[in-house]
Amino acid sequence: MKAIQAEGLTKRYGATLALDSLDLSIEPGEVYGYLGPNGAGKTTTIRCLLGIHRPTSGRAELFGVDAWGDPVQAHRRVAYVAGEPFLWPAMTGAQTLEFLARLHGGTDKAYRDELVQRFDLDTSKKVRALSKGNRQKVQLVAALANRADLLVLDEPTSGLDPLMEMVFRDCVTAAKERGQAVFLSSHILSEVEAVCDRVGILKEGKLVDQGTLAELRHLSTQTMDVTFEGQAPELPPLPGVQVRQAGPNALRFEIAGSVGPVVTALAGHPVTALVSREPSLEEIFLHHYDGHASR
Amino acid sequence: MPAVSQEAPARPRARRATRSGGGPAGALVQRAIRDGRVLTVVFTYLFLVYSFIQPVGYRRIYTTAAGREAFARSFGTNPGLRLLYGEPHNLATVSGYTAWRVGGVLAIAAAVFGLLSAVRALRGEEDAGRAELTLAGIVSRRTAYLSAMAAIGAATVILWAAEFAGFALGRLPVAGSAYLALATVSVIPVIAGVGAVASQLASTRRIALEIGGGAVALFFLLRVIADTVAGAGWLRWLTPLGWAEEMRPFAAPRPVVLLLPVAASALLLLIAERLGATRDLGSGLLPERGGGSSLALLSSPVAQALRSQRDSLIVWAGGFAVFSFILGVVASSVSSNGIPAGVNRQVAKLGAGSITTPAGYLALIFFIYVLGVSLFACAQVGAARREEAGQQLETLLALPVGRTGWLTGRLLLGAVAAALICVLTGLLTWAGAAAGGTSVQAGQMLEAGLNCLPAALLFLGVAALAYAVVPRASAAIAYGLVVLTFLWQAVGALLSAPGWLVGLTPFAHIGLVPAQPFQVVAAVVMIGIGVAAAAAGLAVFRRRDLIA
Repeated sequence: MKAIQAEGLTKRYGATLALDSLDLSIEPGEVYGYLGPNGAGKTTTIRCLLGIHRPTSGRAELFGVDAWGDPVQAHRRVAYVAGEPFLWPAMTGAQTLEFLARLHGGTDKAYRDELVQRFDLDTSKKVRALSKGNRQKVQLVAALANRADLLVLDEPTSGLDPLMEMVFRDCVTAAKERGQAVFLSSHILSEVEAVCDRVGILKEGKLVDQGTLAELRHLSTQTMDVTFEGQAPELPPLPGVQVRQAGPNALRFEIAGSVGPVVTALAGHPVTALVSREPSLEEIFLHHYDGHASR
Repeated sequence: MPAVSQEAPARPRARRATRSGGGPAGALVQRAIRDGRVLTVVFTYLFLVYSFIQPVGYRRIYTTAAGREAFARSFGTNPGLRLLYGEPHNLATVSGYTAWRVGGVLAIAAAVFGLLSAVRALRGEEDAGRAELTLAGIVSRRTAYLSAMAAIGAATVILWAAEFAGFALGRLPVAGSAYLALATVSVIPVIAGVGAVASQLASTRRIALEIGGGAVALFFLLRVIADTVAGAGWLRWLTPLGWAEEMRPFAAPRPVVLLLPVAASALLLLIAERLGATRDLGSGLLPERGGGSSLALLSSPVAQALRSQRDSLIVWAGGFAVFSFILGVVASSVSSNGIPAGVNRQVAKLGAGSITTPAGYLALIFFIYVLGVSLFACAQVGAARREEAGQQLETLLALPVGRTGWLTGRLLLGAVAAALICVLTGLLTWAGAAAGGTSVQAGQMLEAGLNCLPAALLFLGVAALAYAVVPRASAAIAYGLVVLTFLWQAVGALLSAPGWLVGLTPFAHIGLVPAQPFQVVAAVVMIGIGVAAAAAGLAVFRRRDLIA
């Protein structure tokens, strides 16, 4: 049974098409990075996954339970961190944690105390006196301490400082080791690159790319910088390869697909240095967005 | 809701699950009761004191059976008093008088309580984004909804007990007291149901309150027409406020009428539950207006405030306009009915003023408008406070916008809007009276309308001071002060309190135009105090931190 299974998930708000027949499938224990810029439909996806908004068509299941049809049953194995830390201003952090624990049940209180320590959270203060980052920590502690089989996190590190961001990554890794699945919506690419097994890239409500980082890299262009002894030679045009002058005696190859043809073409030329670089997630991301935008 | 999946698998790992004190529903009910406790305490106090004071005051003033008979004969048929208190039964008895004086007024208070409670618990939580977090837990929409309603139910029981206790302390018969209190609080679940439906329709708390407030105003208006216009008594069956009257506490009790509020609240609560089951959380069923493309009214923070308050101002002004026109029409049905002068004086002591002529009646309803415009003034400061609490003010003040200028602008906006409402109220009362065949001069009605302004400016200034000094509690203080000072005069007169004590409230100094002359000195003093309080408020506000 899948942790998350969405089929043809479509959501319209009036004339706006927020999600366009989205298919998602996330295994138990898998950490899935859900990438997209602001307004791509990440939060809409999550609201449909949680049965908070009703899909216009298609369906979303959490561990085989329909999210809209039976949200309560679906939520039993899910913990959620909302995009904005809207909490009850007059309650203290400790009261909020207790309240959320009672709403969900199944909180591991010892682990919760440990998380409070690790996130350096002062739970005696009222929520209204907390900064946005600290309110975010309250939500994170409540969700992580739940030990749910699936964590649904909507931009969970917005407002966190770099130290807390590291604590968060450790916690996600620990969750993964315990076999929890994580659905991490984010636009912080380094975070996704650090913790996720698989990545989906969302654009205007459609999943434009999906796979492991290695698979995404494979499909994307690699960059190869080659320096020659003396002037760079004229090479015959190669399919799927773009060549640019990168200095008086250097060339930069942008290679989509295999590097084999380039290596073959270089054979016999006096190469002094060759640096090949895999694309970062950022480049993959920008490729999808810039490439399409300029079309 | 579909049946729970039968094949939900056992959890893969054992874990140290802890459940502390009750399930999700229990936690939600407790939370909702806690959120509503200030409102509940304030209304409990009002219900207790008001229901205690009326029988005590009646016994004090009408000591003889003959006096009571005379009072009952003359006032049983007076439309002016019926406007406020409804249709009387058995005015010659303490209990009949109490039922008349308390039932009508507290039924309106009960309606306000039901609306505020329901909208706060439903649309308020959703509007603040917290419902999303709640419903991401193991809580169905129905559970969350029923928990909120259960908390209102608990508060209803508390208010019933308070009103009952007030009567009992005032030495009214126990069974009748319980029944009268039941008639009053029967309004709460019905109007809570109205608020619950409004919460499904509107996408924000404010719009939900405006829709629900419109419904309550309509119910009130129906009851007023039913009680004051001959032959319109059947209209009483169309309004929950009328049902409370038709239960006839202390007269000829008709408990079967209780089925009406029970059925209506069950129906409304069911409708709201069904409406809420299928919509997207955070959205309302009424289509939201598009953002529009108008760039008007964005030249300054004050202009923008006017822009954002526009709908609210229209609702307030519209409410005053409708009420003043209709109550103006009703003025013609008021007559003196040969009331003995002695009785008249005694009634004046009860705080109702001389209302046996059209002029007296109009003076009385304008006195109620003073209360209305003063509450409007408080709402203006409340809007400014919301801008601070929502942190939009922080954004504004980070721009080259001065604090003093911002708050002064908001206060001037409130003052000008209040003045416009006063003018509107005067003119429409005149138009209504003319349409109903009562001859009054437009100038006189305009004077009566503007007579509401000094008190409103006083409360605007005091609310500004409260806002500067104790921002979070400012709305409660401002509204509370208006209601307290208004009741102060009525209660003080009833208990024969010394003049200086009654004189502490501004309402004691307002001339009852058109029955009495406009009190120039009092008006100047009130405006002076208002301006001074506003100035002090500005000075404090310039020095304090912004508080979210």
